[in-house]
Amino acid sequence: MLEVTKLNKSFKTPAGNVHAVKDVTFSAKNGEVVAIIGASGSGKSTLLSLLGLLDTPDSGTINVNEQPLATLDAAGRTKYRATQVGFVFQQFNLVPNLTARENVMLSLEFAHWPKDDRALRADAMLEMVGLDKSKADRRPAKLSGGEQQRVAIARAFAVQPEIILADEPTGSLDRATGQKIVALLHEAAESQGATVLVVTHDEKVAAQADRRLEIEDGTLVELA
Amino acid sequence: MNALRRGVRNAFRNAMRSVGVVVILAVAIALSISMLIARDAVTAKINSVRSTTGTTVTVSPAGFFGFSGGGTPLEQTKVNALLDLPNVVALQESLSEELSTSQTSLKTPTPTGFLGQRFGQGSSSGSGNGFGGGTHSFTLPVRVIGTNDPGTAVTGGANGGGTEKLVSGAAFKPTSTADVAVIGQTLATKNQLSVGSTFTAWGTKVTVVGIYSSGSTFADAEVLMPLATVQRLAAASNQVTGATITVNNISNVSSVSTAVSKALGSGASVTSTEQTVAAQLAPLNSVKSISTYTLFGAVAGAALILLLSMLMIVRERRREIGVLKAIGATNRSVIAQFVAESTTFTVLGALVGLVGGVALSNPITSALVNASSTTQSSFGGFVRPGSGGGGFGAGGNGFTPPSGGGPGGGGFGFHFHGFTNTLTQLHTSAGWSTLVFAFIMAIVIAAVGSSVAASTIVRISPAEVLRSE
Repeated sequence: MLEVTKLNKSFKTPAGNVHAVKDVTFSAKNGEVVAIIGASGSGKSTLLSLLGLLDTPDSGTINVNEQPLATLDAAGRTKYRATQVGFVFQQFNLVPNLTARENVMLSLEFAHWPKDDRALRADAMLEMVGLDKSKADRRPAKLSGGEQQRVAIARAFAVQPEIILADEPTGSLDRATGQKIVALLHEAAESQGATVLVVTHDEKVAAQADRRLEIEDGTLVELA
Repeated sequence: MNALRRGVRNAFRNAMRSVGVVVILAVAIALSISMLIARDAVTAKINSVRSTTGTTVTVSPAGFFGFSGGGTPLEQTKVNALLDLPNVVALQESLSEELSTSQTSLKTPTPTGFLGQRFGQGSSSGSGNGFGGGTHSFTLPVRVIGTNDPGTAVTGGANGGGTEKLVSGAAFKPTSTADVAVIGQTLATKNQLSVGSTFTAWGTKVTVVGIYSSGSTFADAEVLMPLATVQRLAAASNQVTGATITVNNISNVSSVSTAVSKALGSGASVTSTEQTVAAQLAPLNSVKSISTYTLFGAVAGAALILLLSMLMIVRERRREIGVLKAIGATNRSVIAQFVAESTTFTVLGALVGLVGGVALSNPITSALVNASSTTQSSFGGFVRPGSGGGGFGAGGNGFTPPSGGGPGGGGFGFHFHGFTNTLTQLHTSAGWSTLVFAFIMAIVIAAVGSSVAASTIVRISPAEVLRSE
């Protein structure tokens, strides 16, 4: 269960102070897929950074399963990112000289999973996202965009996180592949019991979500 | 796969760049290793030369120079007192005299040569050219060295030439006052003398007790006699023209030298072998300095190369670092990954550099030493300490040295050329110390090379990196 209350974040820019996230309040249940839509520069990615503890809010609270994250120190925030959050990026962001399996094992390593279980878990996750077994030992450059995103999703879900933050996960994919990826996120959220937040500006992707939130000039509103 | 393994793998991520970095590092490390080996070889040589020649202090009258003599003889009682100075372990004294034809039955075997011919020419009135001022033939005097250390004298210590060895008879005792002599083989042959024969010196019959050979024409034309005997016969009581003081430790040579100067005053010229050898070792010291600077320069260069390479790599992988941090990597693990990568570069560079450095050390050392010694040779000859002064070729007609004059010149000078050849013959070798150095150097280079990269990694904010996506 993710609960966000009156979250604020401002940036100083040469042009002045930019209030990227304004009093954002929302909650999301486990297993729920929530789409956050908004135009470029509306504050979507900043919100995601705050939820992933990549950035610190100026004010407001973020609770995961009633656990406040504001009190975490640097080490606690790193541990939170390693164990409680999974990231899926538009550009996939796989490590290029590691194989698909090794990329998944990377997040398991950071989460301190037992060494002996990592390869098995990685293979299970790759199977879950539908990556052909023969491609597990391929490097990202030898995989298609859709396959790379599958690996990225496998990496994100591998540590059984509470929250998945997906930033434009279909942005670099064709529509058909994008739909498959969103469907995959749904399946994974359901099977893993994770809350999935999908940031997108694609209405069709958003339409596949359980709920839709719109962010405009840093302010979040729930759409019907 | 942990951070270290990832780092090692990352080192081969871009083959061309990796080869380039490793080759540059290898060249720098090879240079530093060859400089280290050169430095070690030169240092060993310097220490070797110092340990064998650097513990004596030589005293002679101020203004004293070779055959030409000069200066006022030193008072033996004052010189004897030097033995009481701290750190002085032995004292050898000598008195150099010259026997003119009127003072001895000996005939010198040394040819007069061109210089002697010039000295011998001139008018009878002495107003013309040359020293002699007459038409009579020039004859070199016979040199007599009174010594209280004949053991050293006949094995290359007090007398010029340096390689004297007894070929027959025996040496006299250091404290002997007898009218005995050990003479050079050439002089013996010229005068048909053998052990037991006698000759006259200052009107006294002297018995030959030994004959030495040195292979040097000048050195083999001399007479060694007990110091006390020469002082008595030459009416030079309480006079010495040379003293060699042996110091217990090379580190005390300088202080003893100062104390001797203070004790004898301005009438004495005090030279330590350390000073003399130091001047001759200047080329080697110069090579040592060059190799030291180059050594550290090469290490610094290698570190800088790696530092810039790693900085470039970190900047290039900024996004990847941001992603790693976003998915839970600690700064420590990311830094460890890059340190492993830079260490891999360094270890590979060190391995190649070690082989290259060892292979190149000998030619580089030889080139450095030879170049430096060639420059040094222009500074002229080397006067052997304890032997008095630089000798010169003499000969010709018409010059007769002053009879019964003051103390004569010291031993023979010999030029530094031969010594230089010895100094330039260096033995280079790479031992465990070189390997340890290479290892430490690799660690230092890797540490320095990674340091800026590490601080850059710490500063990378995943939020900023991902925001720019």
